[in-house]
This record gives sequence, C-alpha cells and structure tokens, in this order.
Amino acid sequence: MGFLTPILLGGIALIAVPIALHLVMRRQPKQLEFPALQFVRKRQAANRRKFNLRHLLLLALRCALIAGLAFALARPTIKGSGLRGKEGAPLAVAVVLDNSVRMQYVFQNQTRQQQAKEMAGWLIGQLPEDSQVAVLDRSRAATGFVVDLGTAGSRVSNLAVENNPRPLDEAVREAIELVAEQEERRQEVFLFSDLSVESLNEEALQSIEETLAEAADVRLYLIDVGAQEVSNRALQPLELSATMLRPGQPLRIEVPAQVTGMTEAPLVEIYLLESEGKSVKRGQQIIELTDDGAGRAVFELGDLAVGTHQGMVKFAATDALASDNTRFFTVEVRQAAKVLLLGEQKSDALFLREALSPSLLSDRDDVRFECVTERFAKAGSLDFDEYDAVCVLDPPPLSEELWQSLIEYAEQGGGIGIFLGHRARLSNFNGEAAQRLLPGMLKRKSRHATYFKPQRLDHPALTGLRNFAEQIPWRLYPVLQYWEFSDLASDLAGDAYVVARYDNNKAALVERPVGRGRVMTLSTPVSDRLEIEDREPWNLLPTGPEPWPFVALSNLIVNYLAQSESQTVDFYAGETVNIRLAPRQQVSSFVLHQPGGESMRRSLPAGEDTIRISTTQQLGNYRVASGGENRQLDRGFSVNVLPAMSELTRVTPEVLAAALPSEQVKQASSMDDVEKYVDIGRTGHGLYPWAIMLVAIVWGAEHLLGNRFYREAS
Amino acid sequence: MTAVEQYLKPEVIRQIARLDLRAQFIVKGFLQGLHASPFHGFSVEFSEHRKYTAGDNPDDIDWLVYAKTDKYYIKKFEAETNLTGYLVMDLSASMAYSHEQDLTKFEYSICLAAALCYLMIHQNDPVGLITFGERIVDSLAPKSKRQQIGNILSMLAKLKPRDKTNIGQSINQLAAMLKHSSLVMLFSDLLADPDEVIASLRRLRHGGHDVILFHVLDQAEVNFPFEGLVELHDPETNETLEVDADAYRAEYLEEIGSFRKQYERECRQIGIDYVPLDTSMQFDRALTGYLINRRNWG
Repeated sequence: MGFLTPILLGGIALIAVPIALHLVMRRQPKQLEFPALQFVRKRQAANRRKFNLRHLLLLALRCALIAGLAFALARPTIKGSGLRGKEGAPLAVAVVLDNSVRMQYVFQNQTRQQQAKEMAGWLIGQLPEDSQVAVLDRSRAATGFVVDLGTAGSRVSNLAVENNPRPLDEAVREAIELVAEQEERRQEVFLFSDLSVESLNEEALQSIEETLAEAADVRLYLIDVGAQEVSNRALQPLELSATMLRPGQPLRIEVPAQVTGMTEAPLVEIYLLESEGKSVKRGQQIIELTDDGAGRAVFELGDLAVGTHQGMVKFAATDALASDNTRFFTVEVRQAAKVLLLGEQKSDALFLREALSPSLLSDRDDVRFECVTERFAKAGSLDFDEYDAVCVLDPPPLSEELWQSLIEYAEQGGGIGIFLGHRARLSNFNGEAAQRLLPGMLKRKSRHATYFKPQRLDHPALTGLRNFAEQIPWRLYPVLQYWEFSDLASDLAGDAYVVARYDNNKAALVERPVGRGRVMTLSTPVSDRLEIEDREPWNLLPTGPEPWPFVALSNLIVNYLAQSESQTVDFYAGETVNIRLAPRQQVSSFVLHQPGGESMRRSLPAGEDTIRISTTQQLGNYRVASGGENRQLDRGFSVNVLPAMSELTRVTPEVLAAALPSEQVKQASSMDDVEKYVDIGRTGHGLYPWAIMLVAIVWGAEHLLGNRFYREAS
Repeated sequence: MTAVEQYLKPEVIRQIARLDLRAQFIVKGFLQGLHASPFHGFSVEFSEHRKYTAGDNPDDIDWLVYAKTDKYYIKKFEAETNLTGYLVMDLSASMAYSHEQDLTKFEYSICLAAALCYLMIHQNDPVGLITFGERIVDSLAPKSKRQQIGNILSMLAKLKPRDKTNIGQSINQLAAMLKHSSLVMLFSDLLADPDEVIASLRRLRHGGHDVILFHVLDQAEVNFPFEGLVELHDPETNETLEVDADAYRAEYLEEIGSFRKQYERECRQIGIDYVPLDTSMQFDRALTGYLINRRNWG
C-alpha cells in the first residue's frame, strides 16, 4: 500500500472536529410543550439508549467520512510489483526484444518484431526522463545502458532481424544482471517475445529463474507478442546425396517439409542458379502430407557440369513466416582426382588401383580417382605436379633425387602415401632425405601378428568409417609383419601423429604434414599377394575374404591425400565458413558475392590455404571467386536459417508461471496489460475510485442518519 | 356541505369571537346536517291541547288558540321528563395546550359545552356548569330558563385553565354534590392516573348519574407529529424529557392507544358514554354522542 500524495493523509486529523462538536457543542433539542408526558416517560430510558447509540453512530460515520476523504485524496495505491523500499526511486529498465528471424511471423498485417518494437517504443516513451534504459536483443553485440530515452527509442526502431540469434535466455540474463547493478534504482526488465518453445525451453527458463533468484529486486515482465494460432509451411534442411560430385554423378535432393495449421498439400519448386546469376526452375513437386503435417519431395539433377552449382528449393506459395520457405544449397562437381601409383613392379599397384578405380567400372564417368601406375625406375622422369596424390607402394631404398622430388611435391601441396613393406632398408629410410617425409626412424620389422584396429575415427581420413566402425571385421585381415618406429613418443618427428594403430597399440597409420601437403605412412604394405614364392605376405588386408574394409580404407586415405574430400558447404547464419583451397592453388585476393548482390573484395595472406568468412548473417547463396575470367577460384556455400526458427510452438502461460517466480515475473499480452503493469509497477493499483466510492457511501449514510436525527419539526 | 354545516369545523368556528354565536352556529350546523329532527320523541314534544280546568297552571294556557277560539286551552306535553344536565369542565393547565391547532383543548371543550348548553336549554332541560381543578372550583345551578344560556356562556367565556388538576378527587366531590340523577357531561383530557379517574367515574355512575365522558386531546397528543430531537415540557408538572421523536413515535402511539382503549373498555363496563375526541375533529361527533345518550333517557 502506498500513497501518491501522502501529505494529504494529515487531513485525517480533522476528525477531531466532529468529535469536538460532539463533546462541546451538543445540539440543543427543539423545546416543545407537551402535556401528555406521562406516556413518553414510560419508555424514555430505552429511547435514550437508542438515541445515544445513534448519536455515536452518526459521530463515527462523520469521522469515517473525513478520514475516508483524506484517505482518498492521498491517492492510495496497492503495489503490484513495486519494489520494497524504493518508492519513487528512478528506474533502471532493460528492454529485451527477441529479434530472431522467427519474429518475422506476420499476424494481423504486422510482423511480431514490428509489434514488439511498437510496444517497446511506446513503453520507452512512458518512462520518466531520469530512467536508465538498456535495449538488448538476440544479436551478439555487447550492450549497456544508453545515453537517454531517445537513443533507446531509436535503438528499438532500428532493430534488425537476427538470423543467427544467441539464446534468448542469455540476453535476458544479461539484462537482469545489468539492471541488478543499479541497486539504488528500481529494476525492471521487459521481455518482448513470442514465447516460443525454442527461445524459452525448460533449460532457458531454469537459467532465467536462477539469475532472478540472485537478483531479488529485479522484476521481469514477459510481454507476449506471439500469434495465438499459427499456420506455417517450413522447409527442413535439405538432404543432399553429396556436396561433392564427380562429373556425371547425379545430385539427389530430398526436401523434408513440415506444415502446421494448414492441410493443403504444398507445391515446392527447385531453382538452379545459372552463370549469369539467373535462377532457372528445374522442377516442381507437390508434397503429400502425412497426418502430422510432414512430407517430403525428392528432386534429382543429373547434368551438372564441372564447377560450383548453387540453387534453392522453395514453396511456390508464401505464408506468414517467409524465412523458412526457402532452402539454399551448393554442390561442387569436380574432376576425378589423379593418383600416381608407384611400385617396384606395376603389379604391386594392382590391389590399390582396383580399390580406387575398379576396372569393372572403368567405362563410367563418375569414378573418383584416375589412377596411373608407374615403376620406381621411371619415377625420375615423371612430373608429380600432374597428380593430386602419389602412392609409394612397398618402396625399396630410393635415390636421393627421388626423395627430394617427393619432398618438393609434398611441400607444394601434394599428397604422398607411403606403404612400407619388405623392401625398405633402415639405412636408406632412416637417412636424412627419407626422414623428411617419414614420420620417424624405422626401428625394425615386427613379426608379432596383429590386426588393424583404428580406435578413434575422428581423423578426416577415417571419418568415412565412422558409421560402420562396429561392423568392420578387422580380425579377418591379420597383419603379420609391419615396420616398427624406433620410439614413437620421442623419435617421431615433431609434427607427425598417429592416425590409427594396430591391436597391440603399435603405430599403423601416421600422418605428417609437409609444407602444404600431406604425407601418410602405413607401416605395412598393401601390395603383398596371398602367395609369394620366397616369403610370407606381410598382411592379408587386400587379400582376405571380401576385403571391403581395405577398399574403404584405401579410398579414404587417398581421398584425403588428394585433398578432394568433400567440404562442408551448408551453413547456418552466423557460422564462420572455412574454404580450404585446393593444393597448389595460389590465391592472394578474392571477391565474396553475397546473396543480396553486394560484392566484397578481400585479400588472403600469403601462404594461407584457407579462406575464412564470418560475415554470414544473410541467408542465401554465397560465392567466392578470384582470378577473373580464368576462374582460378570459384567456390560457394549456402547459408540457411536454423531449423529451430520454424518452431512456432509456444510455451503455455502455465508452464511459465510454474517455472518462474510469480513475485518477480508478470505476464502480459497486450498494450493494456503493459500499461497496467507499468502503472502498477510504478504507482500500484489506483484505489482512488474505490476510496471515493466508499466515501460517497459513508456520506450518504451520514446524510440519511443525520437527516433523521436532526430533522426540523415541520 | 352547506354554509351552516361549516360551523361544525373548529377552524371555522374559531373565527367567531362570541361564544353564544359560536354555540348557536354549531347547533344550527348540526341540526342542518340531520335529516330528521333530533327532538322527535323527546319530552319536549307537543302532544295535544285540552280545555283549561281550574287548578291548571295558567302559564300553560295557549294564548294563540284563545285568540282564535275565545276558549282557554292548555298545551299538553307527552311523557314530560326533567333531565338535569351538568357541564363539567376540567380547568387543568394541560387543557390550554394546542400544537398547531386552531383551538386549544379547552376552547374546543368550551365550544362543545356551549353548544350542548344551547341544545339542552332549547329542550327546556335544566343545565348547570361545574368547573374543577384540583377540586371543584365553581358551579352554576342548573336551570332551564333561556337566560341560563347567557349565564352559562358568559361564565364559560371567562374560564381560564389553571395549573394543576386532580380529576379523581374532583369527580368524587361532584358525585357527593349531586342529589338527583343527572346527566354529567365531563370535558377533560384525563391526563392523570387512569385508575383513580375510573374509580371516581364508577362512583359517580353508581350514584345513578348518567355520564358522557368527552375525552378531549390535542391532535398532537394523538398523533405525536414531532420529528428529530425534541425536549418535551409538561406544563403541569414542569417536568422535561429529551427524546428522539422519530424513534419514539410508534411507542408513543401504542401508549396513547392503550390509554384510550383502557378508558373505552372501562367506560363500557360502567355504562358511561366515552367519546374520544381530538381538537381537529368536527363538533357533530360530540353532539351526536350527546343526542344518542339523551334519546336513551327519553
């Protein structure tokens, strides 16, 4: 309970007046002659008591009338959320606006964000001049209290859509902590949100609740600007058969869609961006919906030429939330990687070549590798730069020149795979030149039979096995001999590391980056046939029963060496995009074409092989190009909206009420509610009308009684 | 209502100063309103003429008949009776009370008494006047002569209500005083202990007297029209009481009602005609009461 003009409460002292009048100036009764007094006398005592009682009642009513009038004029208020002990203190207000892309939902001809901005602007306009105001949103920019209310207002009106929003609770917590610092002020946080489950899930509510618990003086007003009934068509992230294709390989795109609040089967269209920047429609499909509103369309594009291709899938019709009506995609079509297989004899390369480029499929265009087999004897005359990767199979002691040319090749960005076997000799392989490629000193040939047992499949060269890790029967392909490195812990070259081990924990596959290239050494060969005349095979990896693990492993390793593994080209807004350049690709500057049509020229530091792009706020297809007409570099990536931004399910008020402390948190859904809260928060519930009504009733009663009491004899 | 009948209203009669005229007007107004003569069947009714014989009172000779016939005839009256009436006036100070009425209780009583006097003399009934306060103050012997009207009226006109009263004692005194059966017409507000008054009335009645009790109250005493806080002063006892009139009205009316009921009941038992009056009532009510009583005598 509080008063706007408490000084007027002093008026209550005026009740002394009727009391004094009652005591001192008793009204004289009208004097009358009346002979029949004997009839009056009989009941006079009872009448007297009644009279006195009525007199006192009248006095009490008059006192109540004066006190009530003073009470009413003092403008009593009941505090709804007023902070204890801070009556009349200036305000510290933080306005938190959810500006995520989901707030672009159009309802009643207005996006939710416009509605939130309008209400927040109005609210700021209502605040007293001496208030401290902070405006926070879901972008990651740091914010504090702004200079004045005008700045706060313009900040609200200039608020942009955030495609990559931070968690809403983070902004709310920041706001609570910000106002909580203003201990001398009344602390209020206004959150304008659509109350979607995405932004206020259980975890978020709990963290807000914990933050509120630490700031007991802060009041949080949840202002609901969401639409009560929603209908939306949303495209889920596209499922592409591959983002890296070989020429001729068809692209299959699966388009999952989710429709809520509508029953009509939606029509989706696929567009492909042509070189001139025009979109060409490549197909359309009606998605049949299941009962829960889910559906799926499948498109297949078969005639993609070498290069980067971008496109989008979108609904033909628009709806209330436009941002999830379109999904963008980027695929690259590259030539098959050229791999040189070097062996003592050409037959040494048989297994690996068949694994990489099966002869049965030689007539197809979409092979991943184009293999060339050569003998070491001719290696000196070869130009390694023509190849994306070079595999050295069971090498004998090599000449210094050959080692040197391999080192140069690797430093330029080439990939070298060394498959050690029985021909290796300590003297040559532990020599200076060889050691610049090999991961460490060879110690001895180990004859402890074991088998390949990769533990962790997080290396890019092995990630392809991840999905089958449990099913691969490595035991069926024993490794009978392998080269042991002297002491892996200390003698391994500083930058080398073990990618996979044998069952006995000895190193099997070791990688060592050399210059911009990659060198991978497998300590056992992949060229030993099952039956060899004068010795036992070192392993049965390629010769065991149905050696599909070998095929997979060799493909992955060579793919890694050729640096032609597919790169991620599908991102969500705000993510940092890394585009790794092809080996031996020299780029000093590039142009980033953004979806809106703007282009930015950027430079790349010398020696850098990865382009990093962090300005990915806009949704759409990005293109990175350099080299002018020659198209030395022409890559792309797509930025899509987060799937959570299509999640329009709302948190019910009951859940909110249960999760958040009711004494600190109030919910509102309209301007009126906000106004009420603002008034209540600031001045409490005005009791003036009620008090005045009470006074009127007391006055009426007093008048009635007084009239009866002091009625003049007619 | 004819012009004459208006004189039955106290507010009209008030405008006439002389008591004899007042009485005359009241009686005229009263008689006018009656379709049959109220005197029919009374002792004063003329019956026949008969020849004068020696020994008859020469006063009874009808000289008009003699003038026509040259013979002496005397008037013969049927059932000739002598009804002696006493107008008994209460002189208590309370009788002088009037609250917004045209006539005080006393003035009202006087008008009524005068009218009755007029009526009775008109019928050759002897009428006397007795006034009392704490005891009998004055008395005028009953006579039926015409000049008795003048005597009584002039005496009535001079009467002033006094201070105190003792009705019971005065009636007792009256009862002792009256030798022959008489018609006692008592005018009083009866503001005294009713038991005592009733006892004395009983005694009076026991003496063979016929009694008409005109219980005259002021309208204010009947209706208690006061409002708000009032301080009431009794002129007789000088006692004062402060009461909330509004709250008290119902109780007062109950009290005064039961007071009048008590008299009515007791009087019926004793055989007294009880005529409750208040000063706002027309006079004919009282006169009718008298006439009914008188007829019973006839």
